[in-house]
Amino acid sequence: MLFNSYQFIFLFLPISLAGYFAWGRLGNLAAVIWLALASLVFYSASNWQFVPLLVASVAFNYAIGLMLISMRLSGRQRFATLTVGVAGDLLVLGTFKYAGFLAANLDAIFSTGLTLDILLPVGISFYTFTQIAFLVDAYRGKVAGYRLAHYALFVTYFPHLIAGPILHHRDMIPQFEAADARRPNPHLILCGLIIFAIGLFKKTCLADGIQPLVPLAFGSGSPTFDQAWIGALAYTFQLYFDFSGYSDMAIGISLMFGIFLPLNFNSPYKATSIIDFWRRWHMTLSRFLRDYLYIPLGGNRRGALLRYVNLMITMALGGLWHGAAWTFVIWGTLHGVYLCINHAWNNYGPAVAPRFARAANFAAFVLTFLCVVVGWVFFRAGSFSSALYILSRMADPRQVALGRAEMVQFAFVAFYAGLAWFAPNTQTIMGYDHEARTVGDVPGAWPARPVFLYASAAVLALGILGIQQYSEFIYFRF
Amino acid sequence: MREPAKAILRFLCVSALIVAAAAALNFIVDPLQLLRPARFTPAMYSADSRMQDAGLIRSQDFDTVFMGTSLAIHFRQSDIDRLLGVRSVKLAMTGADSREQSLVLAAALERHPKRVIWQVDDWIFRNAADSGPDLYLPADLYRRNARGIAGYLLSGAMARESAWMLARSIPPLQPLVARLTTGVLFKFLIPRVDDINALKPDFDVSEAYNAKKALAAFRSAIDPARSAYLAERYNYDAMVRNFERDAVTLIAQNSGVTFDVYLPPYSILQWVAMRDASPATLKIVYDFSAYFARRLTQLPNVRLYDFRAVKEVTHDLRNYGDLIHHSPEIDLKILSWLAAGDVVVGRAAPTATLERLEAQTAAYPLGSIER
Repeated sequence: MLFNSYQFIFLFLPISLAGYFAWGRLGNLAAVIWLALASLVFYSASNWQFVPLLVASVAFNYAIGLMLISMRLSGRQRFATLTVGVAGDLLVLGTFKYAGFLAANLDAIFSTGLTLDILLPVGISFYTFTQIAFLVDAYRGKVAGYRLAHYALFVTYFPHLIAGPILHHRDMIPQFEAADARRPNPHLILCGLIIFAIGLFKKTCLADGIQPLVPLAFGSGSPTFDQAWIGALAYTFQLYFDFSGYSDMAIGISLMFGIFLPLNFNSPYKATSIIDFWRRWHMTLSRFLRDYLYIPLGGNRRGALLRYVNLMITMALGGLWHGAAWTFVIWGTLHGVYLCINHAWNNYGPAVAPRFARAANFAAFVLTFLCVVVGWVFFRAGSFSSALYILSRMADPRQVALGRAEMVQFAFVAFYAGLAWFAPNTQTIMGYDHEARTVGDVPGAWPARPVFLYASAAVLALGILGIQQYSEFIYFRF
Repeated sequence: MREPAKAILRFLCVSALIVAAAAALNFIVDPLQLLRPARFTPAMYSADSRMQDAGLIRSQDFDTVFMGTSLAIHFRQSDIDRLLGVRSVKLAMTGADSREQSLVLAAALERHPKRVIWQVDDWIFRNAADSGPDLYLPADLYRRNARGIAGYLLSGAMARESAWMLARSIPPLQPLVARLTTGVLFKFLIPRVDDINALKPDFDVSEAYNAKKALAAFRSAIDPARSAYLAERYNYDAMVRNFERDAVTLIAQNSGVTFDVYLPPYSILQWVAMRDASPATLKIVYDFSAYFARRLTQLPNVRLYDFRAVKEVTHDLRNYGDLIHHSPEIDLKILSWLAAGDVVVGRAAPTATLERLEAQTAAYPLGSIER
């Protein structure tokens, strides 16, 4: 089920909210069980055949976690238990997500003739990663023990199940345990509605609105210089408004239940370095990769050279996490290279004189944005050769169309750029503070003003009116 | 009621009010003429045929349906009517696969036409990039179910069109609004149904269709960086399956309707490109064409025309804007061939024209291309 569908907005969400607060009168556990069941219904609406897999994954990881938390195991036994758990998760993920990719590569190298076409369960990358983090923390002794219902809700919680944010059990389960569902909180519901409205608008009006320009670069035609740039920039903004719109919707929905989800975006295209970009883009994935891959690999503790190697490995695997294709690996590796250069520049590059600081900052902003756009070409292109072809068109100003249509399209893209670069982001508008668990409480903040209420109501209406018959979120594929 | 609760109520009421106003506007103006023929505002049409066809099926009187892809998109209904002596509705859709065409045809057949003229490309039967017609086509509009009607009435884009059409229908505003109406923001720009996707009278045909363009397309197609597109999603078994499901079943279910199915005259370069850059794909196309011809010639309500080996057209590269798209002059020729009943594939030798095409493709020298 899509957040940007009538079924979700007019049927599923009101029923699940009403049920949550109705069952909440019987106590926290009843409300939690209701929400977990509602989440399974949400998942089954478009992925019913994978519900058993999701349930089995929850049961398997909970059992492994319970062994690590409750049983008196020796160090070796604990490590063996963790290995079984993580290997089991990776085996399932590998089978559904990467087996076809592996078979295709083996076929290309050894002409095995073997091809595998396995349907990808939606959200498998997200729920696998959240559970691996849980197992690793249980192994490290950082988990006190959770009830099955709370754990099951943590994994299946529908606002994040399909495309994140990637949740951390220490952040979420205490909220589920403490959630007072006996009475709805009108303030949180209102703020949740407004955040949801902003996200819906981002998705249905902004992301879907610019989507028709993307094929200019990535379609089957031969783009000119300007068309290739329009297409690449259109995808750059489509991806941002699509994914950040989804994340806003997830945060807004969750807030209606009284649960604060972590932020996933913080105006990433305002970044002035690649390091800064990755602190602003898909923040929960960046944190996961840092805590559960980069640091266990050694992070920056084993010298400069190994730090760069670790960065490259982390980013290449981060790329592969997005999809079973070499273009994603190349995208991740490219960002690994960017990060290495960025760190090397910070360590060994010349210091900028204060009088040039603003100019240097602006140059860094432009360079960062261009590097990100180049990366998105690999991310979006169907193959490595297609990506190179598009990039070659973007680098060849000899062929320019620049007719009336291209000029209008450039103006369209410039409008989106203005929004991404200069408009305040959702959390700033709403005063959303995930750590402090507050929202809309800033004195003089927009949510307190009546004009804001009516404007955001109009935004919700426009978001609903912008719903198209079928418009999946890009990150559903990952 | 506490303040935040009141604010929620106000928030939801304002949203509902705006949505209801947009729906009411769409219901009254009905830009697609899906609910009734244009009454309150002058009829306007969109070049987005995937959407527009749903309205044409409901609002037009016709006895003949003209279906196809971009190769049939520029035909004028007035030409079809004049040359074939019918009253037609053109429902061709650029890049439409067989599922989309079948769904739209099924909706049109509910209006009981006598005849369907169907321009068919082999590639429409490839497996769709994703599943089903719902992905690109507003399928529920054709099914006329609650979701389709709700999606239509609750569409903000449609409300924008409705407001614009309403403003345009107010006499003092008409000239100003007409001047401001451009294709950048608005879709319903065409006042005459005959002009939908037809080339304008001042269109420079020789600029759009010439040998230079055809050769440029050929070079691009055989470029190793692009040639993978030639083979994309070709699979013989899938094509046969899709053909049976989307074409044969539909034709068999409508035995009282005559289906004039024709294979359009691609430039010879299309076949040569496949021959040189993707021979395995060419083999699939030949095999599928043979199956296609044998199967259709067995059906009593089908007349099959194969124009792919009409050498005087296909070898004259001045007729083409790329490898397959032919000029409007060829559109008229096709109609005259259909009127004359020429180039009908005979039941006795269903693959005879295919064999001629194979021979022409095999014999076409590379030197001809360079000249």
